[in-house]
Amino acid sequence: MNNLKLSTREPEHRTVVDVSGVQVGKGFTVIAGPCSVESESQAVETARAVKASGADMMRGGAFKPRSSPYSFQGLGLTGLKILARARAETGLPIVTEVIDPRDVSWVAEFADVLQIGTRNMQNYSLLKEVGMIGKPVLLKRGMYSTLEEWLNCAEYILSEGNPNVILCERGIRTFEKYTRNTLDLSAVPAMRELTHLPIIIDPTHSTGRVSLIAPMSLASVAAGADGLIIEVHNNPAEALCDADQALTPDLFKDMMQQLRPLHSFMEKLPHLKTSHPAV
Amino acid sequence: MELKDIRRNIDKIDRELLVLLQERMGLALRSAKFKETINDPRREEELLAKAERLNLDLVERSFTRRLLKSIVEESKRLQKKERQLVAFQGEHGAYSDVAARKLIPGGACIPCMEFMDVFRGVEEGHFDLGVVPVENSLEGAVTQVNDLLTTTDLKVIAEAKIRVNHCLLATDVTDYRDIRLVYSHPQALAQCRGFLMRNHLEPRPYYDTAGAAKMLARENPRSAAAIASALCAELYDLEIIKEGIEDGPSNTTRFLLLARDPYGARGEKTSIIFATPHESGRLHAVLQLFAEAGINLTRIASMPLRSDPDNYCFFLDFEGDENDAAVKPVLEKMERMTISLKRLGSYPANGTEN
Repeated sequence: MNNLKLSTREPEHRTVVDVSGVQVGKGFTVIAGPCSVESESQAVETARAVKASGADMMRGGAFKPRSSPYSFQGLGLTGLKILARARAETGLPIVTEVIDPRDVSWVAEFADVLQIGTRNMQNYSLLKEVGMIGKPVLLKRGMYSTLEEWLNCAEYILSEGNPNVILCERGIRTFEKYTRNTLDLSAVPAMRELTHLPIIIDPTHSTGRVSLIAPMSLASVAAGADGLIIEVHNNPAEALCDADQALTPDLFKDMMQQLRPLHSFMEKLPHLKTSHPAV
Repeated sequence: MELKDIRRNIDKIDRELLVLLQERMGLALRSAKFKETINDPRREEELLAKAERLNLDLVERSFTRRLLKSIVEESKRLQKKERQLVAFQGEHGAYSDVAARKLIPGGACIPCMEFMDVFRGVEEGHFDLGVVPVENSLEGAVTQVNDLLTTTDLKVIAEAKIRVNHCLLATDVTDYRDIRLVYSHPQALAQCRGFLMRNHLEPRPYYDTAGAAKMLARENPRSAAAIASALCAELYDLEIIKEGIEDGPSNTTRFLLLARDPYGARGEKTSIIFATPHESGRLHAVLQLFAEAGINLTRIASMPLRSDPDNYCFFLDFEGDENDAAVKPVLEKMERMTISLKRLGSYPANGTEN
């Protein structure tokens, strides 16, 4: 890890990323919303629902990197405008994915956090482009990537002068077929040892199963993650993508009622000797 | 040319026809101010005959007559409705147009080239009302308008504060990723400098914000967009790529509604312009009158006198009607303390709205 000049841990230093007032890396940040923006009513209703349950930010895709070119590709600019309206309605900062370097400045005009998806983690020209924009970046772990490869990608963004990188573990490919991916929860304490950057968990794409989302979310809190990014859809049965892994607003609400008290409880526990102090 | 290209061109022409019709209807309404009666069969026949003389192969003469006849009928119908004619400076969709529509919801808003045309037009009775910008929260006084206010006999009968909401507009066939050039008034371009730089867009000065939008809709130059009001998107069928692209915080322009007769009822605010002799303490003495009477001032601005560049006139807005018991004696005392005192009128106060 010799080339990781900017992302490797300095003693006692922890980066806190300010997203329009929400401090990622301090407390526990919950980002929730639909896989993709489908309509204004869907986005605004979901935003209102997740806000009411205590979410700190809203997610929603306008540009979708789909496995098949024939799948719904996202609403593009229209989707960005809808997300801006959802923010105006709820005040929740917006996290949205950018997949094309030509779109980076435009997406940054509408969103508060630019997400680099798992398939684009090693898209170096895209990483450089988001590195040149001042907006915070949510860097998902590539589904076949080691922690070192992941950190090297964070390094690309940091080296362009953008210090606001949030890491996101979203599961890796293993031989297990029951889950969509395998959630590597050890990435949380491991990254604590390796870097000062905040790290959050995506329990949705890592498991791909509604029933596993709440348990893994609670486990993420216990593992010391800085937050979660979760798919919530106001009507999952009719979602245009990832229909079978989105939580309903009710399930999300139930989960949040367990999650916040657990986090407060964890905060009060004495720190383990081997773990790094929380900020 | 494929069918979809042909259809696109047809749509574009239809749009232009309608924009031109809008202009023609405006002129018809203006012409009514000069005429005794709406019906003028001689002029009508002259107009139809002139058009028929054009030798257009695909537009047959019988159709020309039918088409123009129906346009003339519609003009006459509009003229009979007696909508108030509200003059503003700029093209349709300019922020002055936005203000005029807000101030006189049922009015017919008529564009003028210059501020002078608005003032003279209302003074001479060619328009019923005029809307002019008097100050902007970022740029300060609109000097041309303030200068015209010093010499006009028109009265202020209302005000409107309009939030300037700059939008990036493009035609629907333009992919936002292809935009390179952005046309607008230099002041609008300056207010959106950060946005243009972040997105690597080249500013191109144009005479007017709405004019830039109109040009875009008509000529659709490659890789181009315009900065103008959201109203322009509706008027010229343009897509709003992004709203609120100005760099600074809220930026409002205050507009005045001008008429030949004063506001009929008690106003909440009064505007005056005055000049004091060039002696120490004179301005202070005037302002003291307001302080002692407990009258709140809402605007004070100075401007060099065109007739006497070493001296200044002062624009004062304050709360209350000029005939209020608290205000009347102050203005009477002012008459004796100033070399000139012009009462622009009292009118209802208006807060900022989008």
